[in-house]
Amino acid sequence: MSAGRRFLSHPISVLSLIVLVLLGAAALAAPLVEGWLGVDANAVSLFNRFGPPSAENWLGTDELGRDVLVRLLYGGRVSLFVGIAAALASAVIGTIVGLIAGFYGGRLDDFLMRLTDGVIALPLLPLLIVLAAVDLGKLGLPAALAQSDQVSLYRIIVIVSLAGWTTVARLVRGAALSVRQREFVLAATALGAGNARLMLVHILPNVASPIVVATTLSIGNIILLESVLSFLGLGIQPPLPSWGNMLTNAQELIWSAPLLAIYPGLLIFVTVIAFNFVGDGLQDALDPRSGPQRR
Amino acid sequence: MLRFVAVRLLQALIVLLVMSFLIYGLIGLMPGDPIDLMINANPNLSPSDAARLRALYGLDLPIWTRYLNWLAAALQGDLGYSRLISQPVLDVLKPRLLNTLLLLSISLVLALAIAIPLGVHAARKPNSVTDTAVNLLCFAGISVPPFWLALLFIILFSVTLGILPAGGMAPIGGDGGLAERLPYLVMPVATLTLVSIGGYTRFVRAAVLEQLRQDYIRTARAKGVSERSVVWRHALRNAMIPVVTIVALGFGSLFSGALVTETMFAYLGMGKLIYDSILGNDYNIALVGLLLATLMTLAGNLLADLGYAALDPRISFTETRT
Amino acid sequence: MGIGLRLGCAAVALASALAGTLISGPAFAKDDLVIGAIQFPGTFHPSIDAMATKNYILDMARRPFTTFDQDWKLICMLCTELPSLEKGTAVEVTRPDGTRAIDATFTIQPGAAWGDGTPITTKDVLFTWEVGKHPQSGITNSQMFAKDIAGITAIDDKTFTIHWDKFRCSYDSINDFLLLPEHLERPVFEADPSQYRTRTLYDTDRTNPGLYFGPYRITRVESGAYVVLEQNPSWWGEKPSFKRIVVRTIENTSAMEANLLSGEVDFVAGEVGLSIEQAIAFEKRNGKRFNVVYKPGLFFEHIDLKLDNPILADVRVRRALLMSIDRDAISRQLFEGKQPVAHGQVNPLDRYYSDDFPKYPFDTAAAVKLLEEAGWTELRGGIRHDASGRRLSLEFQSTAGNRTRELVQQVLQAQWQKAGIEVKINNQPARVLFGSTMRERQFSGMAMFAWLSAPENIPRTILHSTMIPTPENGFSGQNYVGFSNPEADKLIDDLEVTCKEDDARPLWTRLQQIYAEQLPSLPLYFRSDSYIMPPWLEGVRPTGHQYASSLWVEQWRSKQ
Repeated sequence: MSAGRRFLSHPISVLSLIVLVLLGAAALAAPLVEGWLGVDANAVSLFNRFGPPSAENWLGTDELGRDVLVRLLYGGRVSLFVGIAAALASAVIGTIVGLIAGFYGGRLDDFLMRLTDGVIALPLLPLLIVLAAVDLGKLGLPAALAQSDQVSLYRIIVIVSLAGWTTVARLVRGAALSVRQREFVLAATALGAGNARLMLVHILPNVASPIVVATTLSIGNIILLESVLSFLGLGIQPPLPSWGNMLTNAQELIWSAPLLAIYPGLLIFVTVIAFNFVGDGLQDALDPRSGPQRR
Repeated sequence: MLRFVAVRLLQALIVLLVMSFLIYGLIGLMPGDPIDLMINANPNLSPSDAARLRALYGLDLPIWTRYLNWLAAALQGDLGYSRLISQPVLDVLKPRLLNTLLLLSISLVLALAIAIPLGVHAARKPNSVTDTAVNLLCFAGISVPPFWLALLFIILFSVTLGILPAGGMAPIGGDGGLAERLPYLVMPVATLTLVSIGGYTRFVRAAVLEQLRQDYIRTARAKGVSERSVVWRHALRNAMIPVVTIVALGFGSLFSGALVTETMFAYLGMGKLIYDSILGNDYNIALVGLLLATLMTLAGNLLADLGYAALDPRISFTETRT
Repeated sequence: MGIGLRLGCAAVALASALAGTLISGPAFAKDDLVIGAIQFPGTFHPSIDAMATKNYILDMARRPFTTFDQDWKLICMLCTELPSLEKGTAVEVTRPDGTRAIDATFTIQPGAAWGDGTPITTKDVLFTWEVGKHPQSGITNSQMFAKDIAGITAIDDKTFTIHWDKFRCSYDSINDFLLLPEHLERPVFEADPSQYRTRTLYDTDRTNPGLYFGPYRITRVESGAYVVLEQNPSWWGEKPSFKRIVVRTIENTSAMEANLLSGEVDFVAGEVGLSIEQAIAFEKRNGKRFNVVYKPGLFFEHIDLKLDNPILADVRVRRALLMSIDRDAISRQLFEGKQPVAHGQVNPLDRYYSDDFPKYPFDTAAAVKLLEEAGWTELRGGIRHDASGRRLSLEFQSTAGNRTRELVQQVLQAQWQKAGIEVKINNQPARVLFGSTMRERQFSGMAMFAWLSAPENIPRTILHSTMIPTPENGFSGQNYVGFSNPEADKLIDDLEVTCKEDDARPLWTRLQQIYAEQLPSLPLYFRSDSYIMPPWLEGVRPTGHQYASSLWVEQWRSKQ
């Protein structure tokens, strides 16, 4: 059975993929929806605070009279972007570390794997909080950059990838170790292929499947992590909306506007669970031998 | 074996030392210092007062000197004072640590008590309706944002139904006994339990499934041992080895994961303390708290290894670990 | 999820069955009052680290010598009578070096005694001064002890004279001279002054009765959770009504609301409680069960304008900025009109307030006209530019995480946009904003924050030209905007030595006019404290200034 077929045989994973595509499309279409409904995500309207759902504001308005639906869509852009970008960055770091460790072996491998163990032993969330609170100005970043609107976005991607590469590194190293001994690699070595070429052309394609699976699964985790940090006020900074920071405000309003606390959380939940199901399905499809076997 | 433990302890010590320096440096990179916080609360503080206080707190020294001073004092058992609470660090940490351990142990026991039967049931009939349902449930548990779950609980049980306190530790003036604290524990425990059941269940399921494929199970079945006994006595017992490992390995992350739950419910545990101290520039508490959290993870790892060895005689520690 | 919730429900049912009595109904009988606060005090030492909750609690357990009462008049609490030039208890003197100075004599209340029975004497006064001016003691504000007070003479056990360093009309107020018990604290202080801040009995033995002398004393402290105060037998004044007062810390505002509704908390004090928005929302839902009282006060919310910025150097632009924002609508829509719009920095409740100065009502057309006069004529993409192509764009900073300010900021940004002014929001954590950005004048455009002052506070530190922070003066002073006006300087100098009310009034009026004409900052509104009180509670009178209403805790009682 081909990988595609195997994936299609998981109805939940397929459904999740559809949900994700729809969510992604909706998030991308946020400006269109904004124009179509005739609302503005950042337009403050003091006379329309906590408005009920209406033809214009399908999900009502928030504490500043801004349209909740459009803000959710823009928040989705941010959350999805952070999730995907940080997962890719982690995958790249992890792949490089894992390839080098697995390919060269010896002391370098020992060192890199100790480093990986060390990073895994760190108390992740408190450390991320410290990192998120670091003053970029004190790190010598130019003030214009350290104070720009987008800096919270890139900061969170960087710090999450700094902590998130370990899974991929271990996977790739393990795979690289085993691939290294296979005939076609030995043959290529005998033919005088360079190390870089060996790693990129011969080993990398053979470890692609576990990387894809691990990366997909990690997107969900990263979105969760981002939402926690933003919720604690240390991630994405307002007025840039993210699902996490929309909940920060909602927390104070749960007596008067509990729905404002329901929507963003529900979207986080749906997105994360969908990524997890897709990852699970991919794992089964691409790499039927590992993971929780189900057939 | 002894040698192995000794090596691991030495490694742990090095990790802690590196961590302490790293965290100290990172906290130094955080915006402002404790005196800035005082100025914030008291805008009339004059610059000369600020300079005097900085000198008194040693904040005018370079970060290296400050770290070495801290290390020298810490090695002599003096961990300093909490700036936010004006108490010696250990006096602040002790009750918080106990609170967190109470919260974690209840949730852990509950989560395992639910996860093990669920996982075993699912493993008995892979791809059955039960299995799929359990699988869905696990994914839900893994995917739900813990702070949102906590918010939902507060909305449901405190705001709408009004039957549970929305946060805190115990009623005022009581003796702080467990009976008094129970209503305050319900929602934090439920949150932590629900978010950890999923992972454990999936793990139990995989481990039991693995065992059920082994030859000895086939032998047992051939001998006419009842299916019940095969699953619950033979397979589960052996499956417990990886489960115990994962529980021990996960203890450290559980410890720092409690941060969110504790903050949401104003539960005075370690996680909330670490969070408050980071935000409040309370260097001494943040540092020791984070080190303690690291220590927990390291201890969990060591326990997992030792537990593995104790449970499975095939593993020895003479070979190098990969 | 389904199973999870059901399990949760089962656990809840069990727990609530066990705990039913604990949660429902007031936790205490009427003899007790439970006050909710959103913070827990870091230290209990009166002069280390100023913090609202600490002051609020300590004001029930100790008293300052002098303070402002609810009518914003200076009164004696621990002293018997305010010193005065007329009565001869304050004397103008010339120091040997020729400076004009003043001596003021105070007498301690005759019955005043610490909670362990030790009488309060001038020994305590001298000790407090000694600690206050010691550079290593860790006292937060040492200005008064180390600089303003040149000397203290004890005349007898109860009477002492303060020798001020120079002549000042505020010779009679020693509001922040917070007495320390000499008989308990001296050994701790003398053992090692540099360790005093951590070894003080206020933090190592917090329930020692000898530390307190108010109507109540602290009898139990559960760190992070609550503080219990009980009646102090040594109190010499009016006997308080409540037997016990509990100040309970609930950091989460939604939990605070739940506790109010369940009766676990009786009262939320304005000084340490909910923000005005939360109070308004609460009143809407539960106004029948609670009285919500709003007291506008001396928190002056405003936007500092950096006058060195070439755009803001033009007074027409400053006026246009103020005229293009609708402060009335903000006050009405966000604060239900409970926070009055400020037109100047002197509160209308202050006795020196004058109504005789220009005001700037919302008028976009007039603002646009002013901007065009100032040369900002060309609209490109909705933003004004001047002839040289400069963009009318300003940075707008405030304290990150302050929800009310962030709300107001976004509203203001939208309103300025309509006048063609681009405003970029760039917020920083409070400690950074006040610790460095403002103090070192690193802000480039506008900064929104509040000044909290005592009544009749002469605005020397924020308006006098010598108070512009520079590296040369060690960044001292709070004239962050860089306001430099010779007439204002002179008025401020004169006000400090003009002691008669009738003589001072015209000076005050002129100062308010200069502020309104020049607009070194944009006045927004006076912040209100919101008190959530049960209908049965009587006698709580909000002050509206920096001294807490709990200084009159003995007048609080229950109606039933």
